[in-house]
Amino acid sequence: MLRHKRYIVLAAILVASFVLSSTIVVAQGGPEPLGLTDFELCPPFDDVTVTVVGDAGHNLAPYDFWADDFAEMGINIELIEVPFADVYQVEKTEFVAQTGAFDVVTFYPAFIGDFASNGYLMPLDEFMSREPASVWDPHQEDVLAPFRVLYNEFGGSTYALTIDGDVLVLMYRTDLFENPDEQAAFMEQYGHELRPPETWDEWLEVGEFFTRSAGETLAGEVLDQDFYGLAEFGRRSFSWAWFMNRAASAGVMYFDEEMNPLINSPEAVAALQNMVDSLQYAPPDVLNFGYDELRDAFIQGRVAMVVQWTDVPKKAADPEQSVIVGNVGVARVPGTLVGDTVVHRSMMPVGRVVGIAADSDVPDAAYCVIRHIAYSRSLEDVSTALTGLDPYRQSHLDNVEAYVPLMGEENAQAYLAGLEEALQDGFPEIFIPGAAQYEDVLDLHVNQALAGQETPQEALDAVAAEWDEITDRLGRDAQIEVWQQALESYRALGLIE
Amino acid sequence: MSTQRLFNLPERLGGIFGSDRRHRLAAFLFVLPALVMLLAITIYPLIRTLQLAFVSLELSISPNEQYVGLDNFVRAFTDDPRFWNSMKNTAVLVFVGVGIQLVFGFVLALMANEMGRRRTVWVTLFMIPIMIAPVVAGFQFRVIFNDTFGPLNYLIEWASGGRITPPAWVADPGTSLLTIMITDIWQWTPFMLLIILAGLESISQEIEEAAQVDGASYWQLLWRIRVPLLLPVLIIGVLIRMMDTFKTFDLVFLLTGGGPGSSSETVAFYTYLNGFRFFSMGYTAVLALIQLVIIVIISQVFLKLQQRRGAI
Amino acid sequence: MTPHNKKVLRQIIIGIFLTLALVFFLFPVVWMFLTSFKTQGQIFASPPVLVPPSSQWNLDNYIAALFDSGALNGIRDSLIVSLSTAAISVGVGSLAAYSLARFRTGGEQFAFWILSTRMFPPVASAIPLFLIFRELGLLDTYWALIIANSIFNLPFAIWLIKGFIEDLPVELEESALIDGASVFGAFWRITLPLIGPGLVTSFLFTFVFAWNEFMFALLMTRRSVRPLTVIIQSLAGGHEILWAQIAAAGMLAIIPGTLLVIFLQRYIVRGLTMGALKN
Repeated sequence: MLRHKRYIVLAAILVASFVLSSTIVVAQGGPEPLGLTDFELCPPFDDVTVTVVGDAGHNLAPYDFWADDFAEMGINIELIEVPFADVYQVEKTEFVAQTGAFDVVTFYPAFIGDFASNGYLMPLDEFMSREPASVWDPHQEDVLAPFRVLYNEFGGSTYALTIDGDVLVLMYRTDLFENPDEQAAFMEQYGHELRPPETWDEWLEVGEFFTRSAGETLAGEVLDQDFYGLAEFGRRSFSWAWFMNRAASAGVMYFDEEMNPLINSPEAVAALQNMVDSLQYAPPDVLNFGYDELRDAFIQGRVAMVVQWTDVPKKAADPEQSVIVGNVGVARVPGTLVGDTVVHRSMMPVGRVVGIAADSDVPDAAYCVIRHIAYSRSLEDVSTALTGLDPYRQSHLDNVEAYVPLMGEENAQAYLAGLEEALQDGFPEIFIPGAAQYEDVLDLHVNQALAGQETPQEALDAVAAEWDEITDRLGRDAQIEVWQQALESYRALGLIE
Repeated sequence: MSTQRLFNLPERLGGIFGSDRRHRLAAFLFVLPALVMLLAITIYPLIRTLQLAFVSLELSISPNEQYVGLDNFVRAFTDDPRFWNSMKNTAVLVFVGVGIQLVFGFVLALMANEMGRRRTVWVTLFMIPIMIAPVVAGFQFRVIFNDTFGPLNYLIEWASGGRITPPAWVADPGTSLLTIMITDIWQWTPFMLLIILAGLESISQEIEEAAQVDGASYWQLLWRIRVPLLLPVLIIGVLIRMMDTFKTFDLVFLLTGGGPGSSSETVAFYTYLNGFRFFSMGYTAVLALIQLVIIVIISQVFLKLQQRRGAI
Repeated sequence: MTPHNKKVLRQIIIGIFLTLALVFFLFPVVWMFLTSFKTQGQIFASPPVLVPPSSQWNLDNYIAALFDSGALNGIRDSLIVSLSTAAISVGVGSLAAYSLARFRTGGEQFAFWILSTRMFPPVASAIPLFLIFRELGLLDTYWALIIANSIFNLPFAIWLIKGFIEDLPVELEESALIDGASVFGAFWRITLPLIGPGLVTSFLFTFVFAWNEFMFALLMTRRSVRPLTVIIQSLAGGHEILWAQIAAAGMLAIIPGTLLVIFLQRYIVRGLTMGALKN
């Protein structure tokens, strides 16, 4: 049948690939220790292996950066990289199956209600209060309030430590906004000064103003392709958060005290209408814009302004990726005029926290690992372009010098100032059990409105109706209870009256 | 591969094969491992699915089941337009998409069949799309269809001198499902080509030559001889492709995320969301059961087609 | 024009059409190949960079994918899973196919039931299978994937092999049985050698299906086993999709299947044309 030679070649290829795939370690670069954070390492363990699971890619890089520290603590880190979109599925099935595969779990804080209330996570309070504090204390008081209260705590206990403080900010092209010709033209057209939009109505104005076709001029240069005023996250998954930026600033909360949906109020409908209207000033494929597409539309110089996560300015400062180096301004996400003040709200979608699996058999070592990442070396991790992690501690905002090598003194200051401002506007996702269902329904209908398949009113009425059904299915009384706890923390943060 | 009697035992085999009891036992033992394996994915899950269909099991809240009677069924049939929309999208992929694969595959197979010995080279080249994992294909097509930096629209605009404004593909609710269909057609037309080609080659030369001697034109040969003889291969090919397309999930996940809106959600994608995103196990079970019933109906239709052909 | 010339002309015209079709079918592969040499910035450039500059024709993205991103281990795991899956599917499948083809075991409905299990919604069986594997302690082992993939590929293998067996003349087996050979003996010594090409074809397809499988790979594995599809999907992080590495890993992922096709090509085409040989 087969000639033997071919078998031999095939076999040789197989054998070669097996041999090659045995351990090959590649050295990884990382940020230099800054020495700006006080900490001591845990007393060494006896060669313990801690398994860390998280979304794949550069956000797990810190475990490589600090491999020497972990070695000193007698800890081997084993990383399990899970595709970004599958983190919840993989972790949840593991928690249901309880094979004990994971010790440290990286997850999106939207699932803290689910994970904590089902008993999947170990409460951290006891570890945090151990002595000496220099070894055990993660200095939660330093963590900015929204990231501490909303991301870490559930039912009065701490279940996770923040490692990535996501919040949305407005980014705009300073070279365009400061161009005298453009300023004059804007003044003539709209009767007031060109500035980064303060309100969502101004967002439409500025978006309209900067939308130009190929052949027209922009800031004195003739465009060789179409240019757009604005762009947002239009792809299914998180488009709803860009809607909530608007709705929350107009005072819309997800539910009232009794879990009755408030999402189809007139303010919410107007907010969605504003988002629908804004799409005409966005690139034609904006409904496919996820994080990547949105970031690149901006840093490749195709749009004048975007609302995006706070790590984008770091990418915009990198000439390898960006054509707008040095021309990036950061400001608060636009707001809504309520009475005579403008209220700003910026969503805090995604974010990352680390917790310890309840069935971990090395909880002490696991705690040392998460404290090291979430506190001891966190300043280094958030100030490098090698990760996508964003600042979340007061000390991250105070130590400007950490960011200077990356973006220069002036930009670093502006970046941190913009960030600090944005963080005060932070508005949470739906952090209660069932979050995945509530958010999916909201996203679906917001997206249908954006795609023109439903009117904003129809879309939000549908969300309200479906939310009620979800609440009934999950158990209304229990949901009301956890929701009221959530409202309490929102009140403590000053998000609601 | 057979062109005939895919499921019909040749009549004369009744003799020695069926006569001996030891042989029958052996025949049963032969099929036993496969039977056990297939039962494992059908019977146990089926029983569990049937049981889950009557409970509420919301794993995001608690691991406890609660009997809810027919609630899950009522919801699926009366109160879930999203499910039926995903059914509709799936039907488009299954009927239109696979139909196009059949036509393309058939035409290409007829062409490749004319190429004599050289056809093996063609066949090898055509097989490459099958080798590519849907995960990888999804990423490639996401770039290819991208309105801003993808090559497709760039080439369309370049070729038309800018006169044609191509759609935004995945970002346009009118074309998002089409992108999934095109990717599926790209990946699986070669499969159709392959099995139809094999079928064509197994048609006896003598029959074709006899028809030509009788003065049959190319088209007469095609419609009177080839198509009827190929019918069983076509039926099985279409059935296999319909089964796989019915389950389209990876491509939706990667290309469109189901959007814009719900314009490209397939039933497998929606079921996945309920199972692995919402962890609503009871409702997921009902969705799976409905799909199962549809599958049984479709395969019975095909079985009848097969039998009727056998009778002719 | 002589009939011969006419035939050549006809082949040339058809060749042109086939080439056009090939452009459609190979364009994404060529695009992937080009992408595997690009930088992240070039991938998002508008207008698109079709061909990367010559200075970038190096293996950096391949090396990064293989060694930094774990594609090498992924290839190993995928090879183990896919080769075992193909071996089991073809082994178990050929036995069953023989029984179905020659003894009509269970009748037509049974044969059709086997084929239709391929339609069983994977989501429906995924969770029960997941729970079974948990009970057996098989999660995160090669066995979980090998078993799951084998089961799901079995109907296809049975269907394919059954076709081959049915196309064989029965006389040889019949005379062997009359001479007192066991059924297994007749199957092993007479049928199997004759359907070699069919087995090769089934092996190839089940290998490729298992190699490309993603959902079970994601669900059933944790840290000890990480098939290539999971590794590739992992290159799409929340903040960054490493397109070039995905393309590089994707190119590598085509290699085993393509090698199999090239090495086994004669047998595949022969395998798929058994009927012609019969005639």
